[in-house]
Amino acid sequence: MTTMPDLEVAEADPIAALHGFATTGPAPVPTPGAAASVAGVGEPGALLLAGAPAGADGGLEGHLGRWGWLPAMDGPGVRALLRTSGLDGRGGGGFPLARKVETARLAGGSPLLVVNASESEPASRKDRTLCAERPHLVLDGAALVAAALGVDEVVVHLHRSPRSPAPVLAHAVAERRHRRLADPRWRISAGPDRYVSGESSAVASYVDGGEARPRFTTLPLAVAGPSGRPTVVSNAETVAHLAVIARLGPDVWAAHGVPSSPGTRLVTVTGATARPGRVLELSGPVTIGDVLVADGVPAAPAAVLVGGFAGGWVQGEDAWRTPFTRDGLRGVDAEPGCGLIGVLPHGACGLIETARIVRYLAGESAGQCGTCVAGLPRLAAACEELATGTLRRRGVRKLVALADLVDGSGACGHPDAVVRLIRSTLAVFEDDVVGHLSGHPCRGAVHPSVFAVPEADLTLGRHDAREWA
Amino acid sequence: MTVEIRIDPTVCRGHAICALFFRDGVDLDQWGFGKIVVGTVESPRDVRRARRAAAACPNGAFVVRERAAAGSAPPPV
Repeated sequence: MTTMPDLEVAEADPIAALHGFATTGPAPVPTPGAAASVAGVGEPGALLLAGAPAGADGGLEGHLGRWGWLPAMDGPGVRALLRTSGLDGRGGGGFPLARKVETARLAGGSPLLVVNASESEPASRKDRTLCAERPHLVLDGAALVAAALGVDEVVVHLHRSPRSPAPVLAHAVAERRHRRLADPRWRISAGPDRYVSGESSAVASYVDGGEARPRFTTLPLAVAGPSGRPTVVSNAETVAHLAVIARLGPDVWAAHGVPSSPGTRLVTVTGATARPGRVLELSGPVTIGDVLVADGVPAAPAAVLVGGFAGGWVQGEDAWRTPFTRDGLRGVDAEPGCGLIGVLPHGACGLIETARIVRYLAGESAGQCGTCVAGLPRLAAACEELATGTLRRRGVRKLVALADLVDGSGACGHPDAVVRLIRSTLAVFEDDVVGHLSGHPCRGAVHPSVFAVPEADLTLGRHDAREWA
Repeated sequence: MTVEIRIDPTVCRGHAICALFFRDGVDLDQWGFGKIVVGTVESPRDVRRARRAAAACPNGAFVVRERAAAGSAPPPV
């Protein structure tokens, strides 16, 4: 276990400092790059999540009291802000929002703007927590992107789900109408609650009246979406950051991160932690170990699943000292993805957890592409055999070859993500693989399931078309 | 002339007919689903083969598109 030399827990509230509010103690202007912190909703160090929890946050009035009015900005002003801030997408890909917006503008025509709050990743909670706790930051940011694109309508897309924050967003929209804010028209869209339906081309297709399945595209969405219109799909957390950048300025905002990953970052901690599903906001050079300590994990676990079910495993000790930034994670072959940090405790079996996740992901295929339909169930079966100790050495070679075949063969990244998870499993749990092959009983077999994986749908995406509408 | 070739995996059903017409241009997996080897073809012979493969695909999955003239290409994203 490492120590946290520069983790400053009781950081002054930078927003309050900016607005000259009285806070709990002196409020110095934040020193760029100085403090690292891990903060939950309303805890010191939080930026997006600063302020009282939802319900006690005062709605729109509370939001305006905390952040002030959104500065009046024209399209060029917002675009300059996007460029200088270096705001990267927080939905998983990390694509700079400035480039999506510039591409859509160069493509001409009338762009379509979609804020993606669907958060398909079953274990992730960051987007729905953000929308439920800070709906006005998301809507402020969306209004700014609309100005940058020169459009007067924004679609906020969610999944139809009992956990959806749609009612909170609808209430926030009503509050803004009542206050007559200079907003674009809001359209709240609710699509099928399927894993691949949150993928950007599936979202673009759905809001345009098509099926919520990923599309095969030869051109980027920002050049031509399903309707032919340039389509910008941006994650809810991404646009919320823009609302903060507009108020604090890009430099102050960027100083909450590290140079290669500017700004704060929302993560969801799940698995063997004190509160699975807890959302935390990271500032500065925070390691995965720092995050886990903040959530009551005292020492390095066996392994950490980084970036989501579609992410990859990292060995526990390595993960513990790795900064949760794009650059830091690259060093352990991982990516921030949707910001998921999944804790596999000592005594649990990574091969068993992987088999459950792969079976779930196989069932969440949209059932369109051949290698996904044919390949994923076979990959899932091989992972299950490996987990139960019935796979032999030749079977592992076949599994590796099948993964190579499936990789990069689909219209979207779904099969590639499954392959990435399997490859990281074989690398990180190499010793366990050898143990399972030699038929030794697995100690983890009696361990209760660590991750809350939804039940796999064994119909493999070949559903009634209505399910995707 | 340079043409871009693509296989739309969402409509490809693994008939593998494209590979009959354009064997060097398509890799088949064990189920007959095709993967394009190189995304652009230039020689008149290959362009002809690619067009035949596109015409022969029963699902219209094999797509041939003339590359946009230099200068009007979309910016790299």
